[in-house]
Amino acid sequence: MTLLSHTWQFFMAHPSQVWRATVQQLYLVAIPMALAIVLAIPLTILSTRIRWLYGPVIGFANGLQTIPSLALLALMIAIGMGIGTFPAIVALLLYALMPIIRNTYVGIMGVDDGVKDAARGMGVTTWQMLWIVELPLALRVIIAGIRSALVTTIGFATLAALIGAGGLGQLIMEGMGMASNSIVLAGTIPAIILAFLGDAIMGKLENVLTPRGLKG
Amino acid sequence: MAKMLEFRQLSKKYPGTVSPAVDNFNLDVEQGELIVLIGPSGCGKTTTLRMINRLIEPSSGTLIVEGRDYRTYNAVDLRRRLGYVIQRIGLLPHLTIAENITFVLKLSGVDRTSRQKRAIELLEMVGLEPAEYLDRYPKELSGGQQQRIGVLRALAHDPDIILMDEPFGALDPLMREQLQEEFKRLQQNVAKTIIFVTHDMDEALSMADRIVLMRDGGIVQVAEPEEILRHPADEFVASFIGRFRVLRQASEVSVGEVMLTGPVTIGAHQGLAQAMELMRRRRVNTLLVRDTTKTFIGMVSQASVRHHFEAGETFKVSMIAEMPQKTLKPDDTALTAMHQMLEGNDLELIPVLNDDGKLMGLITRGSLVGLLGDALRVAAEVDPSSRSSEGAS
Repeated sequence: MTLLSHTWQFFMAHPSQVWRATVQQLYLVAIPMALAIVLAIPLTILSTRIRWLYGPVIGFANGLQTIPSLALLALMIAIGMGIGTFPAIVALLLYALMPIIRNTYVGIMGVDDGVKDAARGMGVTTWQMLWIVELPLALRVIIAGIRSALVTTIGFATLAALIGAGGLGQLIMEGMGMASNSIVLAGTIPAIILAFLGDAIMGKLENVLTPRGLKG
Repeated sequence: MAKMLEFRQLSKKYPGTVSPAVDNFNLDVEQGELIVLIGPSGCGKTTTLRMINRLIEPSSGTLIVEGRDYRTYNAVDLRRRLGYVIQRIGLLPHLTIAENITFVLKLSGVDRTSRQKRAIELLEMVGLEPAEYLDRYPKELSGGQQQRIGVLRALAHDPDIILMDEPFGALDPLMREQLQEEFKRLQQNVAKTIIFVTHDMDEALSMADRIVLMRDGGIVQVAEPEEILRHPADEFVASFIGRFRVLRQASEVSVGEVMLTGPVTIGAHQGLAQAMELMRRRRVNTLLVRDTTKTFIGMVSQASVRHHFEAGETFKVSMIAEMPQKTLKPDDTALTAMHQMLEGNDLELIPVLNDDGKLMGLITRGSLVGLLGDALRVAAEVDPSSRSSEGAS
C-alpha cells in the first residue's frame, strides 16, 4: 500500500511529467498503428488479387515478428537510423504489420464464394466487389487484427524509451535507474490503462462496425 | 417470336485440358422459353450457362444475346441485363432482404424510394408479407425462403433473360418441389426467357419447355419433355431418364430401379419412445431396424411399438424387431416383387437387401402400382384396340 501511495504522490508532484510521457506514448502508438494500417491493408488487398504476392508479404511480416522486440529496436540503430522517435516509430510499425496483414487476408479470402459468384453474376465491378461485398464482410476480422496489433504495440511502445523515443517507458527506466518502484509504477500504470482502453475501444468498434446481418 | 439467345458453335476449352468443356454448342432460344440444360456432372451445362453472362469467356464460336453479339456488350452491363440465380443462393449477408432483392437496381443507380416499392411489389407477388421481410437479414430466413428471395432478386430489374444454375438443388425435396411449383406459377405471369441448369430429371421434365441433354460438352438431344420420354435419341438419353423407362416389361425392370431409397430406419440401440417419435414425425407406421453397419435386423410396426411402450417396457427396438417373411435383392425383377407382394397377404412393404444383408431400399405397393400404372398407360397409347374400347365405354 505504501508503494501505491508513493506512486500517487509522484503523480501529484509531477503531473506534467506523467502527462507528457503519456502523450508521447500515445504518439508512439497512434503513428505506427496508422501507418501500419495504411500500409498493410492495401498491400494485403492487392495480394488477394495477385495471389503470389501473399507469400512474400506475410513471410516478411512474420519474419519481423520473430525478431525479439528489443533486438528490433537495436537493429534500428545498427542499420543507421540512429536513436529517437523516428527509428522507434519504424520499429513499432514493422511489428504491427503481421496481425493486420494476416487478418485482412483471412477476412477477405473467407468471404463465401457463393456470395461473390452471385454478386459478380449480378454485375458488380471489381471495385464494387471490394467495397460493397468483400470489405464489409471482412471488416470484423480486419478490425480484430488491428485490435491485436494495437495491444502489442502499446506494450512494445514502452520499450521505445530504450532508443530515446520517450514515452512511459522513459518513466519506467528512470524509476529503475533511481531504484524507485513508485516511479516505475508511475510509468507502468498508465501503460496498462492505455492497453485496456485501446482494447476496449477496439472491441466496441468491432461491434459497431459489424453489420447487423452478421451478428449473433 | 423473337430469338433471345442464339448459340453459334459456342465452345470452351480450358488451357491444359485435352477435351473441351463445351464443344460446338448450337441452340436458338425463343422469347419466353424455359430451356433446361441437363446432363451428368462435367457435361458442360454450367459452363454453357456461365458463358451467357460472361463469367466464363468462350474460346470460340459466338453467342447472340437479344440480337447482339455478346462481345459488343460490356461484361458488367450484360450481367445487369440478365437475372442470375445460383444453387448457393449467395444473398449478401450484411444487407437486408429489401436491399438484397433490389441489389441490381442499386448498382444501376435507381433511387431508394423506387427500390423499396419494387421490393414490396415482388414480395407480395410470391405471397410474402413485405412488412415482415423487408428489414430482416438473410440468416434469419430458412434455406427455402432465402432462395425465394434469390429468385425475386433475379426478377427485380425486370430482365428479359434469367440464368438459373441448379437453383433448387440444395433444398430438401419437399421444399424443392414447393419452390418449383411457385416458380412455374411465377413464370406464367412474367414469361421470362430462362436458361435453367439441373441434374435432376424430374425437375427438368416438370419445368422445361425444351430440354437440352448434354454429354461431354456436346448436345445429345434437344426436345420437349414429352418427346424426350417417348423418343430418347440414344441409349445414353434412355438411361439418363432411367426410371421413366415405362415401355419395358416388369420383368425387365429391376427392383433396384424402382425401389424407394432412403426408407425411414432406426438404429437397433434406440428405445421405444424414440421409435414412436420417429414414426410420428415421419408419418410412417413401420420402421426398418438396422445396426450401426446398416445391416438389416428386422422391422417393427407401430402397433407393436405402441403395445410394448404402453406396457412400460424399456428395452431397445431390436428386441421386438421381426425379420419379414420376404425380402428382395436389388437385381430381382419388378415382376418378382409383384409376386412376392401378392403372395404375402397383408404385406405393405418389402425391404431390399444386398448380398451382405445391408438395407438398400424398400418396395411398397405404391412403387409397384406406379410402375404398373405407367405400363398400362403406355400400353393404352400404343395399342389401338384398347383405345377403341375406351371410346366405346
